[in-house]
Amino acid sequence: MTTLEENAGPVNDPTTDFNIFDPEFVRDPYPTMSEIRESACPIAHSDRWGGSWLPTRYQDVVAIAQEHEIFTSRDIVVVPRSGLGVEGPYAGVAAPPISSDPPDHHWHRRLVLPVFAPQAVAKYEQTTRDFCNQLIDKFIANGTADAGTDYAQQIPVRVIATLLGVPLEMADEFTSWVRGVLEVGLTDPKVRFESRLKILNFFQTQLEDRKKNPREDDLITDLLNSGDKYPVTDQYVLGVCNLMLVAGIDTTWSAIGSSLWHLAGHPEHRAQLRANPDLWPTAVEELLRAYSPVTMARIVDRDTEFQGCPMKAGDRILMAYPAANRDPRQFEQPDEVILDREHNRHVAFGSGIHRCAGSNLARLELRVALQVWLERIPEFSLVDPAGVTWAGGQVHGPRVCRVRF
Amino acid sequence: MCSIAAPEVFGSDELGHATVLIVGDLPAELHAKARRAQANCPEDAIIIEE
Repeated sequence: MTTLEENAGPVNDPTTDFNIFDPEFVRDPYPTMSEIRESACPIAHSDRWGGSWLPTRYQDVVAIAQEHEIFTSRDIVVVPRSGLGVEGPYAGVAAPPISSDPPDHHWHRRLVLPVFAPQAVAKYEQTTRDFCNQLIDKFIANGTADAGTDYAQQIPVRVIATLLGVPLEMADEFTSWVRGVLEVGLTDPKVRFESRLKILNFFQTQLEDRKKNPREDDLITDLLNSGDKYPVTDQYVLGVCNLMLVAGIDTTWSAIGSSLWHLAGHPEHRAQLRANPDLWPTAVEELLRAYSPVTMARIVDRDTEFQGCPMKAGDRILMAYPAANRDPRQFEQPDEVILDREHNRHVAFGSGIHRCAGSNLARLELRVALQVWLERIPEFSLVDPAGVTWAGGQVHGPRVCRVRF
Repeated sequence: MCSIAAPEVFGSDELGHATVLIVGDLPAELHAKARRAQANCPEDAIIIEE
């Protein structure tokens, strides 16, 4: 049950048969999420894709996130891994700390947090701004561009490559590997396996290099040298690099893409941001709420009943943060983008011990990417609204999104 | 999030965990910002004592 063909077929009742890779759900998941949320069965179940639960109410999603002992992170991908191949030395490489459970989770997370503290990520603001301007320089004279592939897609990969100290010239390769793991690969096990292998082979070489030639002020060198405080292994460092690449690129790219897609169709919001620059921090949170890109998975540790649902050990739960963030029980007018929304306790970055460690960097990238775009391209619109393509499943956002200006 | 909504009231330590910058009572002009931080804290971790 790992390919599109095996899981295709019409969905009659999403509460018992949802399909996260149904083309309509991928394009616009919100009506289906709302249908499930307001049904008698707000925690849906489907046998497709190896079987999974889908909680859609804010309160349920947060409660599951907080109960990390029952709802573990031993697998966080929305579909099961296929039995394809053996990875030899990489078999045990995960994505710490996001894939870690306590007690190791504590030090797995402790080591990466300083990299993403607000004062630490501030040093990437000018770099990000420069990347954004360079990208716009390439297409501004054309009067048209793909806000997805020419812009949104190009920004986080460069920031993450800078942060990891790996070659910027490899941006296209990194993007292709990450899509292989998180996007294309979720419905194509061979692509997923090969892409993961490419990522791990690449970072294994980087690790060997840093051991021979340690660098100053370098994340990989610093992680390798943290063994005096914590039981750091090559496998751990490889896992962290894997996570930063995979989790740091597609996610933020999707948030930037969705936000530009929204702004393309809402001149009043562009005007509002121009008139009131103080609005940016609040506006960024609202765009993150309304277009939350990420859905993570949890694996049930032991048989348990949650809100009347009989969950069995090994069951997969899809943490539908995008659904939680549009729950009318938590947010007034949840389907409206209200850039100055007062109350916004959104969970776009998750909740509990696995709350996104990179949220401060993601916020910075999203804000700067949108600010630079609006500074240079104040007025723009979609060339063909129906021609916008979307990715979904684990990470939701536009891919091809042509605009004219 | 709180350090974005109310930078005068909240900061962050080297791990990015939130810290409170003001000891004792908050000046009245910061009440609104502090409330906004509370209303936007994703972990519902802020308690304002009146």
